[in-house]
Amino acid sequence: MSVRCADMIVVGSGIVGSSTAYYAAKKGMKVIVIDKDGVIGNGGSSRNGGGVRVSGRLAPEIPLAKYAVENIWPNLADELGVDIEYHRGGNIRFAFHEKDLPALENIKRTNEAYGVNIELIDRAEAKRRCPYVGDSVVGAAVCDIDGSANPLKATLAMYRAARNLGVAYYSGEEAVAVQNVRGKARRVITANGNVYEGEHIVLACSYQARALANTVGVDFPFRQKLIEIFVTEATKPMFDFMFSAVGASGGAYGHQTEHGSFVWGGDSGHEHHPIFEKDTFQCIQPTASAISRGTMTYFPALAELKVIRTWAGWIDLCEDLVPVIGPVEEVPGLMVAAGYSAHGFCLGPVSGKILAEVAVGETPCVDWKPLAYDRFKSIF
Amino acid sequence: MKEYLDRTIDIGPYVPEADDDLIICRCEEITKGEIRRAIHEGMFTMTEVKRYLRTGMGLCQGQTCGRLVKQIMEKELSKGISTDGENTARAPMRPIPMNVYGKEAE
Amino acid sequence: MIKHYDLIVVGAGPAGLSAAIQAANCGMKVIVFDENQRPGGQLFKQIHKFFGSKEHKAKIRGIRIGEELLTEAEKAGVEVSLNSIVLGLFQIKGISVMRDDQIEHFRGENIIIATGAAENVIPFEGWTTPGVIGAGAAQTMMNLHGVMPGKRVLMVGSGNVGLVVSFQLLQAGCQVAAVIDAAPRIGGYGVHAAKVARTGVPFYLSHTVLKAEGSDRVSGVVIAEVDEHFQPIPGTEKHFDVDTICMAVGLSPMSQLARMAGCKMVNNGGAVPETNEYGETSIPGVFAAGDVAGIEEASSAMITGRIAALGAARRSEFIEEPDFERQYQACVDSLNQLRQGMFCKANKGKMLTETDEGYPLSMSLLHHGYMTEEELAAVPTVDSHDTGIHPVIECTQNIPCNPCQEACKFGCISVGENITKLPGVVAGSKCTGCGMCVANCPGQAIFLVDETYEEGYASITLPYEFLPKPEVGDLGGALNRQGIRICQAEVVSVKSNKTFDHTMLLTIKVPKEFAGAARFYKPETEAK
Repeated sequence: MSVRCADMIVVGSGIVGSSTAYYAAKKGMKVIVIDKDGVIGNGGSSRNGGGVRVSGRLAPEIPLAKYAVENIWPNLADELGVDIEYHRGGNIRFAFHEKDLPALENIKRTNEAYGVNIELIDRAEAKRRCPYVGDSVVGAAVCDIDGSANPLKATLAMYRAARNLGVAYYSGEEAVAVQNVRGKARRVITANGNVYEGEHIVLACSYQARALANTVGVDFPFRQKLIEIFVTEATKPMFDFMFSAVGASGGAYGHQTEHGSFVWGGDSGHEHHPIFEKDTFQCIQPTASAISRGTMTYFPALAELKVIRTWAGWIDLCEDLVPVIGPVEEVPGLMVAAGYSAHGFCLGPVSGKILAEVAVGETPCVDWKPLAYDRFKSIF
Repeated sequence: MKEYLDRTIDIGPYVPEADDDLIICRCEEITKGEIRRAIHEGMFTMTEVKRYLRTGMGLCQGQTCGRLVKQIMEKELSKGISTDGENTARAPMRPIPMNVYGKEAE
Repeated sequence: MIKHYDLIVVGAGPAGLSAAIQAANCGMKVIVFDENQRPGGQLFKQIHKFFGSKEHKAKIRGIRIGEELLTEAEKAGVEVSLNSIVLGLFQIKGISVMRDDQIEHFRGENIIIATGAAENVIPFEGWTTPGVIGAGAAQTMMNLHGVMPGKRVLMVGSGNVGLVVSFQLLQAGCQVAAVIDAAPRIGGYGVHAAKVARTGVPFYLSHTVLKAEGSDRVSGVVIAEVDEHFQPIPGTEKHFDVDTICMAVGLSPMSQLARMAGCKMVNNGGAVPETNEYGETSIPGVFAAGDVAGIEEASSAMITGRIAALGAARRSEFIEEPDFERQYQACVDSLNQLRQGMFCKANKGKMLTETDEGYPLSMSLLHHGYMTEEELAAVPTVDSHDTGIHPVIECTQNIPCNPCQEACKFGCISVGENITKLPGVVAGSKCTGCGMCVANCPGQAIFLVDETYEEGYASITLPYEFLPKPEVGDLGGALNRQGIRICQAEVVSVKSNKTFDHTMLLTIKVPKEFAGAARFYKPETEAK
């Protein structure tokens, strides 16, 4: 058994946890990051479509997404010293049925309330901007400031940068409890019997944050859902922008990477009800076929591309589909950044920046209060 | 992999070697030197090296280079750090065109 | 619709087909998927005769074994689905398959993973240049497609694969510049090495490839000696003009399906699923057999396939317990026979100096691929020195093999119960010179020598598997075990018949003093 002390103990080495550690270390804090997995950022951070988007986000999280897209992502590669393949090519959300057009208008309304411009285009313009979209397209919503990055590289680049600043990482170290000392959250106990002690305890471990928070009497309305994505062989540059199909059956969202392959996600309907344990990352038998059908329907020009691998990940769905971010008032010393409901990759760095700022007593770059833990008080 | 790993361990600086420009992952054209540098930047598992550099992410999905990357890692991390063995095996085992994947037999 | 089977076998190689036959014979509804156009896995590239005993299908060529297994599978009612790519092994033993350009989903009450192994590579400068190929690729080109991989080849690796493929390259008409290995000793059977060495191919042990030369394709290779840490020693570089570098540097299990399914994995020459004595993995009903469970020979793969099938049959109660016990035990006994001898796992890394019988092991054989006459003389089983025609059995390592014992209808050769014992001539027996032992020895290690053939001349009958077929009266060179021409040889007899299975018995006449040295015949066109 070891006892390790730092100013801040972060549980979770993904993009959220590593960003928090990075920004906190930059402010001079001594930080330890632990992760139950032996691989850094092996959860949602490495299992997402790489979207760095504002459009399609829900109102309470839009200010964070906007700050991230405008102020963090464009400089991140330089700051971290790794090409994280950030590309701001915009996002086109296609509708293939008349009934889905109101959803696009709704996205425009929601985003524009926060100063994010959304352009609605008709069928002809959609075909002009994307010759590869299927003929059944009826319209689209375009957001210019959206883009994508390579989540695998971005997560590891953040880890690398944090480690270079002296952040101590221990992987394969599963947190099983948070312990209060004199009324303050102060310790994290791991399954290996080690103790991590610090002024600030940050739960940046997606769904697992719930069980850990439970050990100090706090709960979040989270549940889990599987997502699956496939990756195709590389091909010529075809799509400069992120894309998705609104209301699509079988789902379709993704982008073409710098490498030339398409990273493409979707659903088969089994995602909420997988038959296996929730700590595995297995794919569901029919899902890749379902995603392929979605693609063939919406983007028939891609139908001959070969799928070279599929993978799965868990997303932590919060009841209102936006994350819980910030300090937990009732338990001083405890901070949380979880429940991202599939939007964690884009929001990871800004979340980390906010938590680091809060930890040192600075005014945060974005007001986290709309995402605070206590927003559920009135619901329950 | 769930193995405990203390990543504060010092594996020493990256020292260039004569054969650093040897290609190891031929699908993605990743050299031995790139792999060794990544290890010294903190990529201590096969999965991390793969995600950082794309080793084993090409058409053969690591069938050829997996063993070689592992050998390089074992040599570089000789100070008691174990690597996580193999590249993750993922469906489809062979590249499958989308228009075939999407066509399921009745 | 998702189709259900009692057993789904992935891979129609020796393990998979044997498993399917065994399971179908127990009454199971079985389907075998294989991504290739033809079944048999690597067997259809194996044009050499197999080792072992009769029950292991010894002295039969791999290609023939593949055909036999297919016929058996058909008879047993196994559904063999070819051109069928298994995409993955999913939960509740789901298997998705691509065939006829569509996807089909299956569920197996039991699954046997028999996906075999893939070739390893070693990287060196220029290893991605066209002309650097795997030994398996070389076999596919030669033996399936009738294409020569190159004109002049360097073989990297002296294990059985490297040795067997070197010989096949020679048979195909390629030159083999050398066989090299980083290890200090030849890794494969001495008899395999000997048949390569006697054609004149040099062995360079403790050598590695430094670089492949050539930009668009291989035009040469530089090798160098290595020290005990496998580091090249400066100044020991050697250059060969070759157009092909063939790598036979080991195999890795293709265990992706097991890993994908979440089977507990262990390291056994690569990641393999941990299995119990019946080949069952940590996932109940998912079995592994053949190379995917640990690299061995095809003969062993056939047995591990049968064992896994018995395990599956028992699990789903397709077999009564006493039947299971009996058949399982027979498989285990048979497998144990193959897992004995000088090259067995327990002896790996050991430096043996004696045979089981206490005879000195030839060091020259381990280092150069051939035995010296002194070394041969020290092994009493080699030559009875009987007068007149008699066998000389140059089989001096304990390997699991005994077809010679069965071949001689006159009981001249005995191996005994333990098939790894060295064969010897039975005292008092009389050789008739029929040559069945020569033709049936998978190691091509038996010769008939008659020092009283003619005044001043001896005859040597040797196994010959090269084209063109020599004619009686041809003159050529007699080569010694090292492949050096020692004298002129005249072909006095060429026999081939069905029981020899494409091995010709070539009898050459050489001056008597070369009777103990001449072991190969090389046609010399100018000698005609």
